[in-house]
Amino acid sequence: MIGPKKRWRAYKARTKELPGGYRGAVEAIERYLMHFVPTNAESTASMFEDLVDLFEQAAADGTPIREIVGEDPEEFVEAFAANYSEDGYVPARARKQLIDDLERAAGDSTAV
Amino acid sequence: MAKLLTEMLKGTLEGVILASLAGRPAYGYEITARLREQGFSDIAEGTVYALLTRLEKRGLVDVEKVPSEKGPPRKVHSLNGQGQEYLEEFWRTWSFLAERLEKLREGGQ
Repeated sequence: MIGPKKRWRAYKARTKELPGGYRGAVEAIERYLMHFVPTNAESTASMFEDLVDLFEQAAADGTPIREIVGEDPEEFVEAFAANYSEDGYVPARARKQLIDDLERAAGDSTAV
Repeated sequence: MAKLLTEMLKGTLEGVILASLAGRPAYGYEITARLREQGFSDIAEGTVYALLTRLEKRGLVDVEKVPSEKGPPRKVHSLNGQGQEYLEEFWRTWSFLAERLEKLREGGQ
């Protein structure tokens, strides 16, 4: 799942710079994406880089987390992940965790 | 109703985004805001972003990184020749579908 170490570390460093709720949301999505079967290191690395791009921009614009992920976060994450893996299987408990985690992260984003 | 709308929009969103870009280039947030103004009120920015990434990978849009006042550079997307062709094909398909559905509603063949 994890791409070349250097790019992974750079990605993690960028997520740490995000304000609370945004960081929480990225980490929730990251946790969910970890369940996907890896395709190749290159596409996995760009997947996380694109993910943090989205949230950096959203944090800069002050877009509420709910407007980024929508009311059905699974739909967004599926559309997102489909760009990087031909197909994938995610266990049901991971879906529940995604929904719960984003609920928490969205509640946390009022500070921005 | 909202659920059905979401389902029906799924297959058309790529075309909707390309159509929105046909007017002028834009970055993700702008496209989402534009679509919301036009009545696609439930659309999530993340979904638009994910589809833009796909359109980029398929070579239908060109991307240019433009520095922004605050935060990271913005990826500005513009429709290229291939995207234009796809969009025309999309509208042809849409007209066909709309016409067939209208026939069904009228109880025709």
